[in-house]
Amino acid sequence: MLAELIKFGVSLGSILALAGLAWVLKLGGDMRIRNAQHARAIAQEQVFDFLPVDIALDRAGMGALLRDVEGRQLLLRRHGAAFVGRLLDRSVDARLDQNFLILDTHDIGVRPITLNLGEDAPVWASALRRLPS
Amino acid sequence: MMTTFPNPIDFAVPAFVLLIVLEMIWAKRRAPEKYEPKDTLISLSMGFGSTVAGLIVAGGVYTMAVAAYDVRLTTIPFAWWAWGLCFVLDDLAYYAFHRSAHRVRWFWASHVNHHSSQHYNLSTALRQTWTGFIAVSFIFRLPLMLIGFHPAMVFFCGAINLIYQFWIHTEVVDRFPRWFEAVMNTPSHHRVHHATNPRYLDRNYAGVFIIWDRMFGTFTPEVAEDPVRYGLVRQIGSFNLIWVAFHEWVGIARDLWSAPWRHKLGYIWKQPGWSHDNSRDTSDHIRQRWQDKQAWKTSTSSSSVADQEAAQPPVG
Repeated sequence: MLAELIKFGVSLGSILALAGLAWVLKLGGDMRIRNAQHARAIAQEQVFDFLPVDIALDRAGMGALLRDVEGRQLLLRRHGAAFVGRLLDRSVDARLDQNFLILDTHDIGVRPITLNLGEDAPVWASALRRLPS
Repeated sequence: MMTTFPNPIDFAVPAFVLLIVLEMIWAKRRAPEKYEPKDTLISLSMGFGSTVAGLIVAGGVYTMAVAAYDVRLTTIPFAWWAWGLCFVLDDLAYYAFHRSAHRVRWFWASHVNHHSSQHYNLSTALRQTWTGFIAVSFIFRLPLMLIGFHPAMVFFCGAINLIYQFWIHTEVVDRFPRWFEAVMNTPSHHRVHHATNPRYLDRNYAGVFIIWDRMFGTFTPEVAEDPVRYGLVRQIGSFNLIWVAFHEWVGIARDLWSAPWRHKLGYIWKQPGWSHDNSRDTSDHIRQRWQDKQAWKTSTSSSSVADQEAAQPPVG
């Protein structure tokens, strides 16, 4: 029993030490969407047949909104050292605050994302209201 | 009957830790984005939880193994050839388990944990399920006991199999010599297995020997023009440990609740991504659409400009 408890403790310690080492080494880096071309490439990685015709980038590069020829809208957001894409439908909660568009896709464990889209924000907010259910 | 062997995984763990440290140092120098601290913490915590879950259910699993062994066809001795045969057959059983784990949603709900990282490194190897017992994944090994292999031998071989699979979760190694790539599962083959690219979906189920995939038509090589992207077709996008562990089970529960009665079972035993109203994509659907697009690209690239302008790409 004691041996099992020691093993348990050493395992927990190792996990924290390894995760701590990754943090100390600054692994992961600071991933941002650099430009429209970068957003296009990420979008096609997320949904292979998504060909964007319209792209709005967050000013800080933390996310983007894209529309394709079929009218689908894709939200890209940073997730650690990677990006996650979500095809949006009417269930998304969108709130416009001047140049900021706040989107909640109701993914569990994920906070709403705030995109600074500049003057494009109202246009995209309006488009989100026309999404299919 | 109570023959037991030491668990080889206990001896391998220090090597696992050391190799992860070395891979992190490699990542720091060459590609820091290959690791992500939160992702690593989740993967290692999943591995730890999996060990705890394994301890909780070990008695039950071993009892079933012994029950199967009690009605065996023959008794296979602890001879050198039996160890070799057991290891190979256990790897075949692993192939069957693993293929089912990707093609039947009930099994996938447990196995999806291993694929939910968008990174592919040695810590991903330890991202193991907590719910293997619920998914009854142990049943794939029972035939070996029914044939006559002692449970202790089967579990020992299974542990060696698991240890082998650790080191192939890396991007540090590119390719091995052709003869090795032809027979053994390698980092290159297993990168394909973890890919979300349509070309690679649901391929390379092997544990140790890639020959099973070659034999059963599920092998796809890694190709330079289509770099592997990792994770799930619909990325989980969360570092919430509990959600990572149980999200697909929650998805099944939601579907069972909302689906019409005659379709409910389909959400358990059909492919992940199946839906009764075709509102979702299975990996087969995605690959078919991708192949259609590739065929369209090929046909238009060889036709005249006028034909190309008249042609429409396949939609959806």
